Amino acid sequence: MADPPRLLSPALTRRRLLVTLGGLLIGNTLLGWPRTRLSAGLDHDQLRRSMREAYGEHGLAILEEWLHLLDRLDDSDTDTRLRAVNDFFNRRVRWLDDIDIWNQKDYWATPLETLARGEGDCEDYTIGKYATLRQLGVAERRLRLIYVRAHLGRSQTTQAHMVLGYYATPGGEPLILDNMQPSIVPAGQRTDLDPLFSFNGNGLWTRGSSQSRADPVDRLSRWRNVIDRMRQQGFTLGR
Amino acid sequence: MSLVKQLWLIILGLLVLAFGGSLFIGVTSSHDYIEREIRLKNADNANALALTMTQMPKDDVTLELLVSAQFDTGHYRLIELRTPSGELIERRQAEAGIDGVPGWFVDVIDFDVPPGQAGIQDGWRQFATLTLEGQHGFAYRSLWHGTLALAGWFLLAGLISLALAWWLVRGIRRPLQAVISQAQDIAQRRFTTADEPRTRELREVVQAMNRLSTVVGEQLGKEGQRLDALRRRLQHDGVTGALGRTTFLERLGVHLQSQDYRAGGILALIRVAHLAELNERLGYAETDRRLAGLVRTLERLAEDHADGLVGRLNGSDFALLLPGVDDIDDIRHDLHRHLAVWTQDASIPLSLPGALALYGPEDRQSDVLSALDGALADAEAQGQQRLNIVAEKHDRLFTGHAAWRDALQAAMQEGVQLARFPVLDDRGRLLHMESPSRLYLDGQWRNAGIFMPWITRLGLEAELDLSVVEASLKHIVEHGDPVGINLSAASIRDARFVLELQARLQAHPEAATELWLEVPEALAVRELTSLRSFCRELRPLGCRIGLEHVGANVTRIADLHDLGLDYLKFEEGLTTDIENSHEQRGILRGMATLCHSVGMLAIAEGVADPAQVPTLFELGLDGVTGPGVRSATPGDASGQ
Repeated sequence: MADPPRLLSPALTRRRLLVTLGGLLIGNTLLGWPRTRLSAGLDHDQLRRSMREAYGEHGLAILEEWLHLLDRLDDSDTDTRLRAVNDFFNRRVRWLDDIDIWNQKDYWATPLETLARGEGDCEDYTIGKYATLRQLGVAERRLRLIYVRAHLGRSQTTQAHMVLGYYATPGGEPLILDNMQPSIVPAGQRTDLDPLFSFNGNGLWTRGSSQSRADPVDRLSRWRNVIDRMRQQGFTLGR
Repeated sequence: MSLVKQLWLIILGLLVLAFGGSLFIGVTSSHDYIEREIRLKNADNANALALTMTQMPKDDVTLELLVSAQFDTGHYRLIELRTPSGELIERRQAEAGIDGVPGWFVDVIDFDVPPGQAGIQDGWRQFATLTLEGQHGFAYRSLWHGTLALAGWFLLAGLISLALAWWLVRGIRRPLQAVISQAQDIAQRRFTTADEPRTRELREVVQAMNRLSTVVGEQLGKEGQRLDALRRRLQHDGVTGALGRTTFLERLGVHLQSQDYRAGGILALIRVAHLAELNERLGYAETDRRLAGLVRTLERLAEDHADGLVGRLNGSDFALLLPGVDDIDDIRHDLHRHLAVWTQDASIPLSLPGALALYGPEDRQSDVLSALDGALADAEAQGQQRLNIVAEKHDRLFTGHAAWRDALQAAMQEGVQLARFPVLDDRGRLLHMESPSRLYLDGQWRNAGIFMPWITRLGLEAELDLSVVEASLKHIVEHGDPVGINLSAASIRDARFVLELQARLQAHPEAATELWLEVPEALAVRELTSLRSFCRELRPLGCRIGLEHVGANVTRIADLHDLGLDYLKFEEGLTTDIENSHEQRGILRGMATLCHSVGMLAIAEGVADPAQVPTLFELGLDGVTGPGVRSATPGDASGQ
């Protein structure tokens, strides 16, 4: 995305990143934790294994919390779900620029990575929320990731930003899940945001299949790349 | 399945696998690549257009213009705008644009490309969904042309590979065939040696077989020498190495009675005068040495005239038999020149009077010998170097070359008659009819002894032999029984004759298998190279080839083992006296065994006494012929 704001800077080397991702890929054979019933056929074992490999017990703990959240929201209504998910990510994740977290100018992290590190920038929040809501069974067409121009305070300063929009009706006004403003409000009330373009996972999935096309070329796109990595870590998006 | 066929199958299989696989992989990867490109193009274009539209006013005209502009300037099959609830806003569509590509190819390739989709925002609201599909008819076309080009190249490469493979297989096949034919030769007990091929494995096989052939050849050679030594001890004079009296006279009798070229010729007697005196002056040892030297001189002369014989009739009389020769003055001159070494010896010259006589098929042996004795006595009385010629008592048929030529050619035009003498095996079955030729000359059928010398002198051998071949083929076709005929040495040497003979045999392939061709041994071994190529050319046609009058020199049989001869006919001299002579039987048994070990039949010629026949078969012979042999079938009696 454009140029995100830079505030804090814990360092993470690129090497660490590679080790992490490698570990995520390799860690398929270790222990089987008791499987709990959960929405949308999430592969718990695979998620836990990925997490454990990459981030150890600390990562596992936060993963369990996230899974618990999913469990808890299984029979809730949409409003509750939106609020809970929005809050979960806004509280657990500290805002930090990509360059400081991942040592890259623009890195789209998976929810697992974002939660485990507890750090992320605007699209990491958005992706996390999107993935969690999808996991809870919210329809693809109701969710859109929206590029917005954000006006900071009363100044004329603007910055590139991303939020998640929830569309109760296709042509209607969305609810905005944002990390800069903790509460969910209808888009009309967000005068500080200026929508520019939106997208979602529509069209990524082949007909009737939960798999995206296993095509390395697709990963050249950031959006498809992050979805691909999520799937490797145990998400089963697209059902 | 033959090795060559297997090689071909492997080569073809590899080519099909390699080229089929390459074609499949090439087309598949192109297909995947193109499909991916189209999909990315769809998705990217959809997003780009949606992004633009999101920024623009959303009135109908602007939207229509944007869609039209994109559609008209780009390569699209479909651009469609629908509201989030699915109502159509704008739509542009074009033909699929697949032409020049066969329908089946389109079905096989069948690009599966989802359209690109992107949402258009109007503020926070979702305004519309954009669906976009690129034009990919070109992809079918380019893939089709690529496939054609690839298939064309594979076809060309396949043809080149096949040409190379053909060359390779041929390189293997030829030496292989040579190895096979050598192996077959050995299976038929013809121990041939072959050139070593370049292919290593084949070379080793050929080397092994060549070694085997050489060993067998050496063993046969040793055995032949042993038999020859035995025979010499029996038949030859111990001092001089000339034939003994009995043997020589027997041979002379055989010659006179034979129906072929041997029945006419020259017989010479040479006497070492004053032998007793010589013994006294020189001592026995030196005298014997001189006598042996004289015999060697005579033998050289005999060899010059094909199968001549030298015999010692008694202590001082030596005989020289030159069958098939009739220029007596020439021979007299020759003899004189050869004997000069001894008569003009400075220290103690030998006194060597002699006499020469022509003999013919009508002559009796005793008449010829007594006439010669008389002439010799005259010569001895007249002087030491005198060589008398016995006056010719019988008339010649014709005088002069021209007369003979005309008469012989006329007779050959008239047709050759074949005499018929049965050759029977141990159970009395007919092996073949030995058929010497006869010509109708001067009002009567004459046998070969009369006209053969003139045939030779006039160089008409090939002509006569061809007439005989034709007559015998005709006989075989008409009567079906196998026929054996003589060929002269000059004929087998004559390449044109061989070609003509091949042509005639090929014209009667059935009859050819019943034809037995024989060549006099003494003549054949002098023309070993010709005989070898003759055998090579004619054996494939199915006729049998053998040697007749074998006897004088058994050791040569060993040299003949790789020729592929089918049979040998042993001269009468080898079969006489077998009832009484243990050694004679030994020789005959040995020779029969030798023949069998190289896959030849052993046949005894000139068997006069029917009582001998069982003994001969006991000794291992495969066939007998001669005056004492009568066919069971009436009408097949010897002669006409």
